[in-house]
Amino acid sequence: MCSLAFVKLTKPLERVLRVLLADPVAPHYGYDLMKAASLASGTLYPMLARLQQEGLVDSEWEDRSADAGGRPPRKYYRLTAEGVRVARLELAHASTAPQSTRHVAARPAHGTPGSAL
Amino acid sequence: MSDTQPVRRIAEMFIRASCRRLPEDERGERCREWSAELPAILDDTSVRLPLQRAVRALRYSAGISRTTRQLRRASGRPAKAGSAGWRDGAMPVRPAGPGSRMTIGAIVWLIVIFAAVVLLRAHPHPDSWPFIGFLALAAAFDGFCLIDIVRAGEVRYLPKWAWALICLAQCPGGGIVYLCVGRVNRAKSAPPGSAQRP
Repeated sequence: MCSLAFVKLTKPLERVLRVLLADPVAPHYGYDLMKAASLASGTLYPMLARLQQEGLVDSEWEDRSADAGGRPPRKYYRLTAEGVRVARLELAHASTAPQSTRHVAARPAHGTPGSAL
Repeated sequence: MSDTQPVRRIAEMFIRASCRRLPEDERGERCREWSAELPAILDDTSVRLPLQRAVRALRYSAGISRTTRQLRRASGRPAKAGSAGWRDGAMPVRPAGPGSRMTIGAIVWLIVIFAAVVLLRAHPHPDSWPFIGFLALAAAFDGFCLIDIVRAGEVRYLPKWAWALICLAQCPGGGIVYLCVGRVNRAKSAPPGSAQRP
């Protein structure tokens, strides 16, 4: 089965998946994702490339005829059906897993694990 | 917006230079994808100051440089197919390459010269301690740069010995140029193949 076993569910990856999962059918372009997940481009794009390689994320070019106001067409990313499934699974798992196994920075010491989702 | 054009051009130049690390078949598409994001960044109305937007665009293109390095490593360096000038760890020498980093280096260098001049005017006797201190600092910095070059897995644009020569030839200046232009982030330049997943 396809899962995220190939890569650890890091904080940045978790954030990207959350953003993509918030509206799985909406197309997201790179800067959009960068802002929403507050990631640098140097973190986001390698991650997207990996996800795409694993078939969890799909990309398509913006329609030329769309109202672009003269700007070049963008590339849009969205989760595939498999991606949605895996992302839900991984995020649910992450939010119930013991906090000690994950890298958690700047979080109150007595935070309640599992309350994020 | 016409005032964002120069920044956009610099960022595009940087992205194009980074894309040269990718295999030829995906180079064009990646380059188009990343360049197409620049208008969104430069016209992002949620960022108020134009200067901030420009900085964002430049940081974005710097991130693209990191991205292509990672993608190249992840793909096991299929660099030799069809690109003659390519060698492991060395990009083709292009003087017109990353303009923004050059600018940063030049600014730092000007600041160093300015500081030296101010110091000399305040202490006209060259044997006074601030002058010697300045020299010692510059020598220490040079040593740091040389050790960094020796220990680096790869450096950019020029061979290692050329960077070492540059560092030695221009005492703090060469080192600054090396750090700005030639240095590859150590954490991400682990020897290829060591971290490959099965």
